[in-house]
Amino acid sequence: MKPKLIRAYITAKKQLNPDTFSLELKTSGLRLQPGHFFEIRTSDTYDPYLNRPISVAGYQRSRLLLIIRKAGRGTTLLHEKNTGDRILMLGPMGKGIIPKKKRTLVIAGGIGIAPLYFLAHNLTVGKIPFSLIYGVRNHGDHILISELKRICSDLILVCERGAKKKVTALDVLKNMDLAKYDIIYACGPKAMFVELQRMKFDQPIYVFCEDFLGCGCGICIGCAIKIKGTYKRICIDGPVFNLKEIDFNV
Amino acid sequence: MIKLFGIPFKNPIFIASGVFGFGLDFKEVSNKVGALFTKGITLKPRPGNPPPRIVETAAGLINWVGLENPGVDIFCRDILPKVKKLKCRVFVNVAGFSINDFEKIVEKLADRIDGLEINVSCPNVKEGGVLFGQDPKIAAQVTGAVRKRTRLPVIVKLTPNFCDPLLIGKACIDAGADGLSLINTVFGQAYNAHTGERIISGGLSGPAIKPFALFCVNRVSVLGVPVIGIGGIETVADVREFLSAGASAVAIGSALLRDPYLPIRIIRELKVVSNISKNEKL
Repeated sequence: MKPKLIRAYITAKKQLNPDTFSLELKTSGLRLQPGHFFEIRTSDTYDPYLNRPISVAGYQRSRLLLIIRKAGRGTTLLHEKNTGDRILMLGPMGKGIIPKKKRTLVIAGGIGIAPLYFLAHNLTVGKIPFSLIYGVRNHGDHILISELKRICSDLILVCERGAKKKVTALDVLKNMDLAKYDIIYACGPKAMFVELQRMKFDQPIYVFCEDFLGCGCGICIGCAIKIKGTYKRICIDGPVFNLKEIDFNV
Repeated sequence: MIKLFGIPFKNPIFIASGVFGFGLDFKEVSNKVGALFTKGITLKPRPGNPPPRIVETAAGLINWVGLENPGVDIFCRDILPKVKKLKCRVFVNVAGFSINDFEKIVEKLADRIDGLEINVSCPNVKEGGVLFGQDPKIAAQVTGAVRKRTRLPVIVKLTPNFCDPLLIGKACIDAGADGLSLINTVFGQAYNAHTGERIISGGLSGPAIKPFALFCVNRVSVLGVPVIGIGGIETVADVREFLSAGASAVAIGSALLRDPYLPIRIIRELKVVSNISKNEKL
C-alpha cells in the first residue's frame, strides 16, 4: 500500500505507564498488518524537523492504535496532544507481516511490545497458539497487562529491576524448552537482538527493527541495515527481518 | 512554462539530487515537477556508508549516505528506461572521483537524458582529496572535460564549503557550463553531548541552511546563466525568496523527507499565486 498523507483525529488518549501512552486515531480504509508504521508530524515548526516513525499497535473498525514512548522532543510533543486534536501523518509505511499458522513464540523488550501487541492480536484472531515473553526494565513498566492476559494464555512477564533477582526476557528464554516452537518473533532494543543472534535458534526468528528514519518511504536511504552482506533499507525492505541474515557488526 | 538552456520546463519546481532516488517511488510527484535531478551516479557501484547515515539537527539534518548507487552501467541498463518514461525533464547527477570518471560516465549516458548535473562535491582522489568544486581550476577542468563529450545542457552543482561559489561558478561557465545549481549541503557534524562521541560528519541540509543558500544564489546570479536555487525550500514563500535572489528555478531536497508529495502542493499553490498576481496587474 502506497503511503498517503493522512489527517486523523485523536479519538482517545491513555497513559499506560509514566513514559508510555497510547493514541487512538480515526482513519478508515487502510489494510494494516504488524510491521506497518506511520511517519507522524509532531510539530508545525521545524523543531523537530523530521517526522517520527511510530509502529501500528492495532487497527480495528477504522480505529488506529499507536503506542508511544516519550523519549525525546518529538514524542513529548505528541504526548501533549489531546483527544480531538488532529494529527498529520504519512503512511502506512514498511512491509507488514501475516503470521504463519505455526507454534509461535513472541519476545518483547520494553516499547517493543507496540507492534507485537498487534501481532498477538492477529495470532489470536487467526487461532494460532503462541507464548509471549514480555520483559521491561523497571517495576511498573509493563503496559496493557489485562489486554495481553485476555488474548494470550501463556504470558510471561519479566522485570529486570525491582525484583530480588535480576531477570531478563533472555534469561527466561534460556531456560525454556524451545523445541515446542516453530517460529519466533521479537521486538526490542538492538542489544537484545545481538544477544538473540548469539543464541543460535534452530527455528526461524524474525525481528521488528527500529531506527532513526529520515523519510520512512525509501527515498533518503538513511536507515541502512546490512542483510546478507548488502545494505537494505529498514523502512521499505523491513522493518521485519530474518535475524539470522542481519550483520550488526558494521 | 519556463525555458532554460534552450529547452522548455513545465514549471520551475525541480527535485534536487539525492533525496528522491530516481523519482520512481513517487511517480505521481515526479510527473508533476519541471525536472528531476537523479541520485548521484558514479562509474562503479557504491554500497554507501555504514549507519548512522542521517542525524536530525536544528531545522535540518546531516547526512552521510556516501553516494550509494548502482553505478552507471546498471543505471543505464535497468533504471534509465523507467526514468525516461517520467513526464518531467531528467537530469542525471554525475559524481566522479577523477576527471576520467566524469568523462566515462558522461560518455555512457550519451544523449538519453535531458541534461547533466555535475557533482563537484566529491573528493578528487588524485589531488589528495580536495573537492573538485573547491578549486576553480579543477572545477573548470571537470566542466571542460564534460563539455567536450556532450551536447546536453551541463549544470554544475556548486559546493559552498570553504570556497567562493562566485569564483568557482565563473570558472565553470568559462569552461562551458550552461547553468549552476546551488547550494550543495554544508559541512556539518554532530556529537553526543554526554559521551563526547562523534555521531556523524557529513552534509547539513534543510531550512537551517536557507539564508546561506539565498546569499550564495544571489552572489552567483550576476554571472548571467540560469541558476537553480537549492537549500531548505519548504513553502511557496521560500520559492519566491529564491526567485527574488536571482534563481531561475528551484529544487526541493530535504523537505521531501517530511513530505514526498510537497512539490505537488507547491506547484498548485504557485499557480494560484501567479494567477492572483496576473489579475492584480490587470
